[in-house]
Amino acid sequence: MPHETEAALSRRGFLIATGSTLAATALRPAAGDAQTPAPPPVPGKEKLIVRSSRPLNLEARVTDLTTYHTPESAFFVRNNYDAAPVDPAQWSMRIEGEVDNPVVLRLDDLRKLPALTQDVTLECAGNGRAFHQPRASGIQWEHGAVGTQRFTGVRLADVLALAKLRPAARHVAFDGVDKPPTPQAPDFIRSVPLWKALAPHTMLAFEMAGRPIPHLHGGPVRAIVPGFVGSASIKWLERVMALTEEFNGFYMKSNYTAPRADNDKEVYSLQSLEVKSVIVNPAEGARLAAGKVTAWGWAWAGEGELTGVDVSTDGGKTWTTATLVGPSDRYAWRQWEHAWDAAAGSHTLMARATDSLGRMQPASRAFNRLGYRWNVIHAVKVDVA
Amino acid sequence: MWRSLALAAALGTAVAAHAQQEVEVPKTPGWELIMRCVICHSVEIAVQQRFGPQGWSETLDRMIKYGAPIPPEDKAQLMAYLLRHYRDPAGR
Ligand code: HEC
Repeated sequence: MPHETEAALSRRGFLIATGSTLAATALRPAAGDAQTPAPPPVPGKEKLIVRSSRPLNLEARVTDLTTYHTPESAFFVRNNYDAAPVDPAQWSMRIEGEVDNPVVLRLDDLRKLPALTQDVTLECAGNGRAFHQPRASGIQWEHGAVGTQRFTGVRLADVLALAKLRPAARHVAFDGVDKPPTPQAPDFIRSVPLWKALAPHTMLAFEMAGRPIPHLHGGPVRAIVPGFVGSASIKWLERVMALTEEFNGFYMKSNYTAPRADNDKEVYSLQSLEVKSVIVNPAEGARLAAGKVTAWGWAWAGEGELTGVDVSTDGGKTWTTATLVGPSDRYAWRQWEHAWDAAAGSHTLMARATDSLGRMQPASRAFNRLGYRWNVIHAVKVDVA
Repeated sequence: MWRSLALAAALGTAVAAHAQQEVEVPKTPGWELIMRCVICHSVEIAVQQRFGPQGWSETLDRMIKYGAPIPPEDKAQLMAYLLRHYRDPAGR
């Protein structure tokens, strides 16, 4: 790879993407109105909804998110650009920039460092974008670009220590092997502030659910930045750069930004996930028998700590505290449940999470051009007979 | 650096090789121009969007900057096509 030029790399990335049967997209005129029938499913990912076939973007139905650890078959895929699979034996990664000792590391080098295993909820920054009015720019995710995985790897701080960070380093950028379709298009590179890069939970992961990370999820090695929007957790890592400033590129300064609260003419690059909850059961439109129903779902809070979930069964008029159950991990979603005595009629169930940063899920979210920060209270309508 | 038209020529074969049905677009004047979008990404990326005139114009200008082979006369036709089928009346 060191002998190839940028352009050659880009072209190769493109031809791989085009040549793949999974990724192939062709056109045939439709007879009637604008409509987009579903593209063919991806092997192992048949349950997921295809939002785009190239680059590949797949999301779960919220009713398939039934377990604390999301099975691979229900785990969303968000690619800004596709990449060819990387052979773990050939894989290496450069640590460069504001370091005194630039190094190239292979998997064996990482395995010599202390290992860390943790459960992490990853959510795409644009999850819920489809609910913005008017329609916001980007992949039209509904509820399912979220899931929880057990990742194993090493601390980024330990890797940066090998490279001897200079005092001037303030941000750390990640770059994967995915390349844009043309050299004029922006490379997918994102950075995190130094405090987050050095935090003990920020890791370079090489296992997911106890096995090598599957290609679609960023293996051989993926950055995992718990609490931050999913795009911080760069896949197919090949380069880590220590920088004096936030990385100056399209995916930091334009995409993955939202208007500032104090001045909406300016934007900031997204960091923490929002406080959020989803209802897994009952499903939207469900027809239930009167009697005991366990309403339940997931809640998470990014950099905040989840403090509670309230449930309403009357469209938000009254709220009761849900019970938090199951595993409690700092950067993973928490299961909540509520025993509901369902009477005949139509009902709207709602769930509303709160966190240690004083955040509560809102009833509405101001439109933003790129459709981020969607954490409006999830409502589900059901009929009880 | 590639020139955009050379890019289109080089990739035309690859695109044509996958002439199976995956996504349909309405066959009204200008629909063939959408074929140029799939040089870089699937057509879903384009047709999931709903913009007004400003939003579509800015998006196409960005694609042209990336190398999309869309000369000015084709941009006008594409704009008309996109606004006919993929317009958000409330959008920019
Ligand atoms: C030369 C490569 C290239 C061509 C050709 C191309 N695009 Fe894109 N397109 C990109 C890249 C790269 C991105 C992702 C970066 C971005 O959003 O600017 C993108 C993203 C998009 C998006 C999502 C961004 C948003 O604001 O929602 C839309 C919509 C889009 N393209 C429409 C089109 C249309 C319509 C065409 C055909 C007329 C087209 N593109 C042709 C490279 C291209």
